[in-house]
Amino acid sequence: MFGPFRLTQPLSGGLLWKIPWRLSRHQKARHRFRLRAVDNVISTLDTALAKQGLSTKQLERWKKEMPTEQEMLPKDKYTVFDRKVKRYRKGIHKLPKWTRVSQRLNPPGF
Amino acid sequence: MPYFRITLLRSAIGLPAKSTGVLKALGLRKRMTTVYHPVSQDVAGQIMRVKELVDVTEVETALTKEEMKALRRPDPGFYIERRASEIRDLAEEAPRW
Repeated sequence: MFGPFRLTQPLSGGLLWKIPWRLSRHQKARHRFRLRAVDNVISTLDTALAKQGLSTKQLERWKKEMPTEQEMLPKDKYTVFDRKVKRYRKGIHKLPKWTRVSQRLNPPGF
Repeated sequence: MPYFRITLLRSAIGLPAKSTGVLKALGLRKRMTTVYHPVSQDVAGQIMRVKELVDVTEVETALTKEEMKALRRPDPGFYIERRASEIRDLAEEAPRW
């Protein structure tokens, strides 16, 4: 039971992923906070450029296509489409670098 | 002339090399560094590239590194007593301070 050769899950099976299958409510709260931070950056850029009568193609496209944090469904906020997973959804925290990428849209119908 | 005040909050370690390059171009080498860039489409495009990593506000004037440091410096909690004549001499040398 104790000692260096005890039977543990990583020893007997090799790799053991310890990422829980769902987010905790604190992870969700921090995730919403990050989404809003990106929204703030976008709105700052937009208002600053609009004062000079400017805009950029990329900014216009983001505003047209990307939903803001308030507009997003909980399903899209906390899960992401994956064709290999049963029922086609996995937690967003399984996405590599998920705290530093913008993943807001999913295929329609899934 | 309005400026973007850009602060790097998250590092680009492990992200595509392009985002590191954009941060370098903006002058953001380490976390929590702040730079000022004039409001323009070019800079807006650069910020769009690293929008998840930075905090952006629009300000009227750009501060130098020394001015930013002076803002962070806490109140020393004391002041140096001077003779009235010394204060008068100082006031004559630099009337506005």
